[in-house]
Amino acid sequence: MLRVINRVVVGLAGAALVALGLGVLLAGLGLPGFLPVDGPDDVLISDADRERVSSYGWWWPTVIAVLSVVVLLGLWWLAAQLRQRRLGEVVIDTGEPESGTGPRALLRGRALEDVLAAEATGIDGVERASVSLLGRRTAPRAHVGLVLGPRASPAATVVALRSRMLREACESTGLPALPTEVRLRAVKHRPERVT
Amino acid sequence: MSDDKTLVAPEKGDWEQAASSSGYEPGAQSVAERRFWAVRRVPAALVAGGGVLMAGVFLYDIVKVRAEQPGMAWRHRLADELAARPLDDVWVLLGGAAVLLLGAWLLHLACSPGLRGVLPMRRPGDDVRAGIDRATAAVVLRDRAMQISGVQAVRVAVGRRRVLARADAHFRDLDDVRADLDAVLGEGINELGLARRPALSVHVRRPAAKG
Repeated sequence: MLRVINRVVVGLAGAALVALGLGVLLAGLGLPGFLPVDGPDDVLISDADRERVSSYGWWWPTVIAVLSVVVLLGLWWLAAQLRQRRLGEVVIDTGEPESGTGPRALLRGRALEDVLAAEATGIDGVERASVSLLGRRTAPRAHVGLVLGPRASPAATVVALRSRMLREACESTGLPALPTEVRLRAVKHRPERVT
Repeated sequence: MSDDKTLVAPEKGDWEQAASSSGYEPGAQSVAERRFWAVRRVPAALVAGGGVLMAGVFLYDIVKVRAEQPGMAWRHRLADELAARPLDDVWVLLGGAAVLLLGAWLLHLACSPGLRGVLPMRRPGDDVRAGIDRATAAVVLRDRAMQISGVQAVRVAVGRRRVLARADAHFRDLDDVRADLDAVLGEGINELGLARRPALSVHVRRPAAKG
């Protein structure tokens, strides 16, 4: 979600800057452009332009309102970059699947993360694992970071992660699935020889 | 390894060895897998920060002027410059070009996947997407190459489409070492489980004689 918002807003900002820069360049080089100016000898914003817009009663209140909205949305957007929205708790439905509204239990997100990380660390060749749960509490997703030790087999590690950690997670929480994104990294170590 | 380059190599002498294109076929088991798309947190934070800063300063000064206090000097200066400099002034053109480039860069960031350092892996199932860092893949392959006897040192570079291994072999026939490297690294690439199998090229040479 944040990825989509970021890319759309960054793209819009980029498009606006491209349009402005292109407009100034075209007008300045005397080419047919789209800025409302009279040829390369004109200026970007003349004193007359400024005085004209300032004379409208709505001008400054509108500018202030727009700038306020930009500042508020910008701060919210900035804050969204700085925090990672992790899942606080996961809903475990213990009821009958047919009735739908059985007794429900809440599992702390951090507890499940720790269990999953411990499970992942148990896989052969995995030195460290970090798990964070994202998404909604009835349909969580997992981000897993694995740090591989020497002589690990990445493909086998991912298969083992799926068959052990994910199956465990689904069995213990009753979730139908836990969509997972895995990133593999390695500890930096010097070249060594077994023999 | 039945490699036609093997026949060529002795003519070149033992000091410089031709590259081998290895016995395994790249792309043989490739599957279509989407790349990882970066969240673009840093560019977004920079755009947000820049926007908030500019809008905030203007807001502050405009409100201050509306409250009949003197505005900041730079706003007078900016208004004067915008009203005085014609559009074909060097600084206006430079400013326009800079704004255009910045905008093009932001558009590029918005539309490209990024994360070029992460190679997507084959999925063991629908519920798992995995990716491996190129640097990590290089370390895994290097560890395997170092186990071949005769290999004294090896540098492995994993590109997005090609794996390049350069080894120094201080004993054994260079062709034998290269054949072993081809086999071991080919198997190693299999075990990386990449969605798109990179090409493999292996270079082997004698290390420079010690002084």
